Amino acid sequence: MPTSFKQTKFRFLQLIPLLLLFYISLNGISVIDLKFFSINVHYILVYFWVLRQPRSLGYGFIFLSGIISDVVFGLPLGTSPLSLLVIAGVAAYVRTVTVRISLINDWISFIPALLIGNFVYFFALYFSDYSIDYFFLFKNSIFTFIFYPILWGAFTILLNLTKN
Amino acid sequence: MDTNREDFGIAIRSAFLSRGTQQRFSLFVLVIISIIFLLFEKIETKPLNYFRSIIKDTIYRGAFLASLPTDGINKITINLAKHIEIYKEYDKLRVENNLLKKNISQTDFFRMENEQLRKLIDEDIMSDDNYFNSRVILDKESPYLKSFVVNNGSNKKIKNGMTVLDDEKNFIGRIVDVNFFSSRVLLISDLNSKIPVIVEPSGTHAILSGHGNKNASLEYFTKNHKIKDGDKVYTSGKEGIFASGIPIGETKLINEKIEVLFFSDLDQISFVSINLGELNLNK
Repeated sequence: MPTSFKQTKFRFLQLIPLLLLFYISLNGISVIDLKFFSINVHYILVYFWVLRQPRSLGYGFIFLSGIISDVVFGLPLGTSPLSLLVIAGVAAYVRTVTVRISLINDWISFIPALLIGNFVYFFALYFSDYSIDYFFLFKNSIFTFIFYPILWGAFTILLNLTKN
Repeated sequence: MDTNREDFGIAIRSAFLSRGTQQRFSLFVLVIISIIFLLFEKIETKPLNYFRSIIKDTIYRGAFLASLPTDGINKITINLAKHIEIYKEYDKLRVENNLLKKNISQTDFFRMENEQLRKLIDEDIMSDDNYFNSRVILDKESPYLKSFVVNNGSNKKIKNGMTVLDDEKNFIGRIVDVNFFSSRVLLISDLNSKIPVIVEPSGTHAILSGHGNKNASLEYFTKNHKIKDGDKVYTSGKEGIFASGIPIGETKLINEKIEVLFFSDLDQISFVSINLGELNLNK
């Protein structure tokens, strides 16, 4: 009995990143937009888990959550999945070439991921004839980068719990 | 140098082409599918529209259900705040009500006179029968698009471009995406919204442009205009899509720019009226 409870708890903890991914997509809170700053939680979530524990987030699920985000936000279908998959691609590349895991390494390698991801996002919207608020995109990139360590800390705690 | 390039190639191949543990798809395949989705967005064919409608309707319902707990908590918070404010508002409303009672007979006379004059110049008169009421089922604050989703679509003969009004018949936006059981309304505050308007009493024609925030601004008007603070802004109907004379808001001059403060609070809309536009009395 205790073993089965432990197993259930362990499985639930492992499912949290996936549940979080769909929760933020369905609730339209993948981009937290406050008065002075905005953070793209979606990017951070995908980057962290693909980098640190890829079995928690399947690429298919990332694609699906991107499609949900596009529908909820009213964007052309395929915009968010494309940028999220590019972020996941950069994370997978960094995972292959990095040996030592540290916040600084993750944080610095997040810069190209963020730049390429937002570039793809901009590119997809531009060719779909959508007006883009460039300042918002810039502000969003800066604050997503700044807030990365905070979410990194929270996700690392969760990651350690799933390992223990 | 060659070894470095080889290593880079191997790492890229491993990241994009190989399927990891417990991964059903490789990244490359999904990126290609995303690009196909994006390209198909530009193509308007019946089967593709059906496919898109099914996906969107399903996700809207799912999102509506998933956001019930969060929306519930938000509603409780808003209601509590409203209850605190209610006593202050009561006194204000009583004074306003007395004033409105005095004005009501005068308004009826003006409406009648206006209808007669419009008939004289052969202009459309909107009837209440033109409207179809819908409920907002999904109102997610998107940083990129100011819009929401209503619970009726092509099943109620709603089409792209139809006018959307709030419960007080103020103009709030237009339909931009129609599915079987849902439609998306693009609000006038959105960056993509450009509406031809007329400013009264000066009669100046202009374009109302949204900026993605709470207000919009007037553009493309004559240099020697006579627009003042508090002038009323209505749809001009010049583009031939919207009826003319639908109230939108009032002007406010800020730093030589003419901002428009909407009559409707776009964050607090639960029900909308969609002008189906088929039962015009004069046409």
